[in-house]
Amino acid sequence: MLTIPFQHGLILAGILFSIGAMSLIIRRNIFFILLSIEIMLNAAGLAFVVAGAHWGQPEGQIMFIFILTMAAAEVSVGLAIVIQLYRRYKTLDVDAANEMQG
Amino acid sequence: MDLPDFLKILPLVVLAGTTVVLMLVIAFWRNYKVTFFITLIGLIVAFITLPFGVSNKSLQITSILVINGSTVFYLGLLIAGCLIAVLLSYEYIEKFEGNREEYYILLLLATLGSSILVASDHFVSFFLGLEILSVSLYGLIAYPHNLRQRIEAAIKYLILAGATSAILLFGMALIYTVLGTMEFSRIAISGAQPGNQNVMVLAGWGLLTVGIGFKLALVPFQYWTPDVYQGAPAPVTGFIASVSKGGMFALMLRYFSRVDIFANSSLLALFAAIAVASMLYGNIVALMQHNVKRILAYSSIAHLGYLLVAFLASGSLGPQAVAFYLVAYFITTLSAFGVITLISTPEHEIEELKDYESLVWRHPILATIFTISLLSLAGIPPSVGLIGKIFIAAAGVQSSLWVLLGSLIVGSVIGVFYYLRIVITMFRPPEEQVESVISLPSIYTTGGVVLSLLTFLIISLGIYPLPIMQIIARMISTLP
Repeated sequence: MLTIPFQHGLILAGILFSIGAMSLIIRRNIFFILLSIEIMLNAAGLAFVVAGAHWGQPEGQIMFIFILTMAAAEVSVGLAIVIQLYRRYKTLDVDAANEMQG
Repeated sequence: MDLPDFLKILPLVVLAGTTVVLMLVIAFWRNYKVTFFITLIGLIVAFITLPFGVSNKSLQITSILVINGSTVFYLGLLIAGCLIAVLLSYEYIEKFEGNREEYYILLLLATLGSSILVASDHFVSFFLGLEILSVSLYGLIAYPHNLRQRIEAAIKYLILAGATSAILLFGMALIYTVLGTMEFSRIAISGAQPGNQNVMVLAGWGLLTVGIGFKLALVPFQYWTPDVYQGAPAPVTGFIASVSKGGMFALMLRYFSRVDIFANSSLLALFAAIAVASMLYGNIVALMQHNVKRILAYSSIAHLGYLLVAFLASGSLGPQAVAFYLVAYFITTLSAFGVITLISTPEHEIEELKDYESLVWRHPILATIFTISLLSLAGIPPSVGLIGKIFIAAAGVQSSLWVLLGSLIVGSVIGVFYYLRIVITMFRPPEEQVESVISLPSIYTTGGVVLSLLTFLIISLGIYPLPIMQIIARMISTLP
């Protein structure tokens, strides 16, 4: 069986992380912003799995399961706030919610 | 893990258990007073069980938690801070017409997250504690969700905290890839080997610093602070300023003393730069604000900069100065936000500077309490804030951090201006009869009594700080 070198996995994780970070900066719709945070979290998770496989330890995958769980919790609270955002501002554009200045 | 180990982490277990009990109680019987009292009892029990963890050596509970003197000290500080926040919130949240009970679950969960951070000795517990803290804070910031600014603050915090925890995780993953371990102590050992100091580890440390800096609101990761402070309800703002930052700072103290930051001069220079920038930026920008909560937000950025000076002081005084300053900062910040909480309602936050005009003629006691806490933040005697600053300065002199000390002094001098501006506004004689939106509570309420107690602590510890110093000297050993 051909094993994948761990550098390749890390590079993939790095690319995914950058895609997430870029779309976090560019996107204005709150749903896509939450999605890009999710991509970034999962990129970090992938890096953990790759590193765990490289060291032959289960820790990487354990960490990934924790990341999945916490990301789910984060998104559920996030969506509740999104509902409130839509109720108050009648839009999903985050630029609308920028009234506090100073 | 056997029974003695279990006893040592009993405060964490009690905090977690209380949240579960609260959820069950609310599911069957929704009663505001009962929830409040269960929360109080849970916190008091958690505080009473603290001494089980006291021992003179560092005790590892599995590989992810560590309990020693300083852990117990910071746990006590966080639980006491949460207790004060709960007491201050009672009347405020009672006025909210909606589901009020879940507020206490979120407050307890956030304290639990912060406590896990304090006790953590492993990336897993670091991450879990941080996320439990953050996710409960999203809910708390938007809690009485009746104002637009609450939602705005919650969205801003959600996006930024989510992004920074992803950045933090990626940093952890990079460090794990090179070093093959996630325990702080073993990271320290294998990170010190010459072959293991490559670009990936450095990048990992950089990303970790971003995550920590965000939670502590240090320059240049401070952009969320004023908006979240302004948008969040006043008791929650006090909680974020104290408990959330305190937990993170204690973790940073452990992590960086394990990996020995002082051996790496570039990392040391980076932290010194962050400290100077935080002290100057926070104090200078606070001068231009017209909103009391925003002023306190910028002042908190500066105060975390002062704390970093003590953190960077390598001598024996450093950790003790951090501990004392955190105690002083907790008391003073909670007292300042307590006053704002007492005169605000969930429908209307009293936060503009002009709302405070001639407050002393309308409510002399609260105005005096607010004045004392502001003077303590500014470091004017006789207050606990001054003793904290002297302690930090002593630690800095011991390690000859002259640039940092210079910025500390400059920052403190600038700070006096904007603190005194609020005080002068409050003491201005009333010109005409203005329609006041401020609710003027009696001092004989839960919040009023707690505030009087905090004010008493500010003054008495400012005059006679020895009891706290003795506790700190006993608990905070050189062990991280």
